[in-house]
Amino acid sequence: MAASVCRVGSTVGRALAKARSPILLSLRRGQATVSYAQSLLGVPETRLTALDNGLRIASEETGHNTCTVGLWIGCGSRYETEKNNGTAFFMEHMAFKGTKKFPQAALEKQVESMGAHLSAYTSREHTAYYMKTLAKDLPKAVELLSEVVQSCALSEADIEQQRDVVLKELAEVEGSLQDVCLDLLHATAYQGTPLSHSVLGPSQNARTLSRQDLVEFINSHYKAPRMVLAAAGGVTHEELVGLAKQHFSGVSFEYENDAVPVLSPCRFTGSEIRMRDDDMPLAHVAIAVEGASADSPDIVPLMVANSIIGSYDITFGGGKHLSSRLARLSSEDRLCHSFQAFHSAYSDTGLLGIYFVTDKLSIEDMMHWSQNAWMNLCTTVTESDVERAKNALKTSLVGQLNGTTPICDDIGRHVLNFGRRIPLAEWDARIDEVTPKMVRDVCTKYIYDKCPAVSAVGPVEQLPDYNRMRSAMYWLRF
Amino acid sequence: MLSLAARSGGFSPYLQATSYAVAGPLKALIPPVVVKGDTMLVDTKKPFLTRESLNGQSPKCGPAVSVSINAKAGVRFAHTDIKVPDFSDYRRPELLDPKKSSQESSESRKAFSYLVTGATAVVGVYTAKTVASQFISTMSASADVLAMSKIEVKLSEIPEGKNMTFKWRGKPLFIRHRSAKEIAVEEAVEMAVLRDPQHDKDRVTNPKWMIVIGVCTHLGCVPISNAGDYGGYYCPCHGSHYDASGRIRKGPAPLNLEVPFYEFPDEDTVIVG
Repeated sequence: MAASVCRVGSTVGRALAKARSPILLSLRRGQATVSYAQSLLGVPETRLTALDNGLRIASEETGHNTCTVGLWIGCGSRYETEKNNGTAFFMEHMAFKGTKKFPQAALEKQVESMGAHLSAYTSREHTAYYMKTLAKDLPKAVELLSEVVQSCALSEADIEQQRDVVLKELAEVEGSLQDVCLDLLHATAYQGTPLSHSVLGPSQNARTLSRQDLVEFINSHYKAPRMVLAAAGGVTHEELVGLAKQHFSGVSFEYENDAVPVLSPCRFTGSEIRMRDDDMPLAHVAIAVEGASADSPDIVPLMVANSIIGSYDITFGGGKHLSSRLARLSSEDRLCHSFQAFHSAYSDTGLLGIYFVTDKLSIEDMMHWSQNAWMNLCTTVTESDVERAKNALKTSLVGQLNGTTPICDDIGRHVLNFGRRIPLAEWDARIDEVTPKMVRDVCTKYIYDKCPAVSAVGPVEQLPDYNRMRSAMYWLRF
Repeated sequence: MLSLAARSGGFSPYLQATSYAVAGPLKALIPPVVVKGDTMLVDTKKPFLTRESLNGQSPKCGPAVSVSINAKAGVRFAHTDIKVPDFSDYRRPELLDPKKSSQESSESRKAFSYLVTGATAVVGVYTAKTVASQFISTMSASADVLAMSKIEVKLSEIPEGKNMTFKWRGKPLFIRHRSAKEIAVEEAVEMAVLRDPQHDKDRVTNPKWMIVIGVCTHLGCVPISNAGDYGGYYCPCHGSHYDASGRIRKGPAPLNLEVPFYEFPDEDTVIVG
């Protein structure tokens, strides 16, 4: 019996050896072929060039068969006034309605025939138009993008038609209560400043914006020094620069009357806004303090701090074994349906906060424990918390870059915010430097005894009075 | 079916009044009859909420204005239409400029608020303490009772060598006008012979006037003045002899006669107690 087993075993062994499959024979076949540190350094470099008119070109050659190429522009709702709030958003709608060279049908046909995706987004400080396509279609993609951005048709008929679409979108977004809550948070936190403007703009503006407004907006903000042509995928930097020279050399870099739009600082006001509606099933609440700007050195400790609080949804399977203390409490005491710690960083300010969704009888408890979590960050955060958070943060940073589009978006935003792409290895090094004392000091600087901004939507009767929430921003025991 | 959604603003007037908007199998579509009524003069300056005037504020499309008798009526706006009011009237001067970061003045604003709060708290605590103690002190002895605890004596009425007895706090008070000879004798007494050693100086403020409580320290009888072997007092109950300084010299009493608190507001008066 034993002899026959041995014979079988040796036969199998000989068969495997004959097959010479390296995977099966390798002793290290369960392990990755490169270590994490090696992989960080192995990321291809992001190359950055600038044209004569100031337009920057940045690309990362990842070797994929596809690529994402787009134009990231440093303009958004923050550059609008109350009268033209919503122009950037309207512009985004108008962008794909045809250009001077390609009327709408022709533009759509061009894009569809390549099998490409053409999209855009607008945020408070950035606007992006990008295209996801095969790597070999890069020249066509750049041409179409240049058409869309530089010579948008903006016909009156299309503008009128898009009004309806924009209004419908406004109506639709009312259903996404997270967006409503966070928009209201900005509206109250930055009241009286351009950052309070929502990207969508008020319904009145959607009805009255004219072609002239759009043209003026483009002329004031779509300038070469504020634009970045970013690409990621199977693209070579030289080819991209050549295409940019061909299509984007004409982008203007001078402002009319030398009126360069300068962003003035935005005053943060500790305040609250409550949109109470007892007919809604769940309450959406966001509380935030003024945080760090995107280029501040404090941004990494704050990101680590947010990872310590983490996020939670009632569908998480971890239950009371989740590592974030607030998540454990949420699960065991049924405090909320979901929460997330967030940090929206702008060029000179930021919002550091916690957003949660809960039913109407748990709001007070959830608010108490959220602020308790903040107080713990300022006072008693431990080495193990920080280690865990650092690992989670590194994982999420790396994991987000899982395709040419996220990478391209990263490149575009980084070049606009920082003037260069910050490589993963640098993020990694900065995260490693964070110590518990650093987290405590930074959190104390931004959170402890500061006036928060609160916004709440839904059945929010139980939300405590503002003075009580303000009192929970410090501990008498310290 | 009286609830209607004003989907098509222009046609809405024609959809009012009794009309069937949906044709059923037995009911044909009955077109509404528009009845021309009197023209009403409307004051355009006064804002009023009607479907027409609200229509101007609502999005042009979608069921944004709904009017009904037996269902909810309302006008739906977008959340971006919510305008945060201008609170400049309530702001501190450092925060009036929206283009200036609020972080710079944060420390000074907090310091001011906390200082004012802290000072008010301290003042409040002292006020509370004062009020409380004022109320509680109403329960203490009143002035007439306190007055009874003191006695004022005119010293010129006491001749030299004489001992006067007064009733004070229910006890006899001896005031003795001592002569110079008596004072000298008492001051010369050795401490060693005294049962309760006390020098005469320690028992009087002004040696001329000796003030003691006339209660024998043995068992509480009242000693007789100018009696006994030592020129002072003699207690007849058990034979205790005190000297002119009220100190026990012979007999069963253990301690000297008690000296109460007294003071001389002027030459001629003493207040005891």
